[in-house]
Amino acid sequence: MLGSVDFQDVTVIADLEAGIGTLTRLAEQRVDAVLVVVEPTPKSLEVGQRAAALARDKQLGRIVVVASRIRGDADLATVAGHFPGQEIVAIPDDPAIVEADRKGVAPLDLAPDAPAVRALCDLARSLLPVPA
Amino acid sequence: MRVAVVGKGGSGKTTTSAVVARTLARHGLSVVALDCDSNPNLGISLGVGDFETERLVAMREALDEGGEEHAPGWDDLIARFGSDAPDGVRLAVVSRIDNPEPG
Repeated sequence: MLGSVDFQDVTVIADLEAGIGTLTRLAEQRVDAVLVVVEPTPKSLEVGQRAAALARDKQLGRIVVVASRIRGDADLATVAGHFPGQEIVAIPDDPAIVEADRKGVAPLDLAPDAPAVRALCDLARSLLPVPA
Repeated sequence: MRVAVVGKGGSGKTTTSAVVARTLARHGLSVVALDCDSNPNLGISLGVGDFETERLVAMREALDEGGEEHAPGWDDLIARFGSDAPDGVRLAVVSRIDNPEPG
């Protein structure tokens, strides 16, 4: 559906099935941006690398690696090492996100000024279309 | 604009999708958030609440089991199988059938 529907003036954010199965089946050039979300663990990075490679092969537009739960420079360096030359956005490890998950509420509502939430808002703003 | 959020389960995809969706909506875009996970819980991260998210989960399960008629078109899908999230984001649960076709 993501590839075949004419979305007119709607912006679609698709939270895909975990893993790369859906991405594998996505036709080429069918999205404008791919956010590859990883955390600094070997398994997550491995999935992320495969996702980024697929996204490149299928020319799925701008690829941003979203490095989650970053605790410091070492974590960021680990992620960067797995995605040379890629645009990377660091989202700090943030207890506010954990608390929102525990309470079953939106992080944006619970803690709009939390560092991780602000970093995600900055990421979103970087996706805004540039005025013609 | 079409944005796909991918990654290993538990890495933060849903949190990322939720905050990005609502932030874009706050900047004036008309945003639809698609939850393509077989256990959809994007609703919780968006702030639609437990009850509504559970309703969407049940709908997804019914769709996958063939108990519900699939939406013939995009607008219909959003209208029938969607939910209103904060900041004007429209949330829709995407069934296994609606997930991108091979090729």
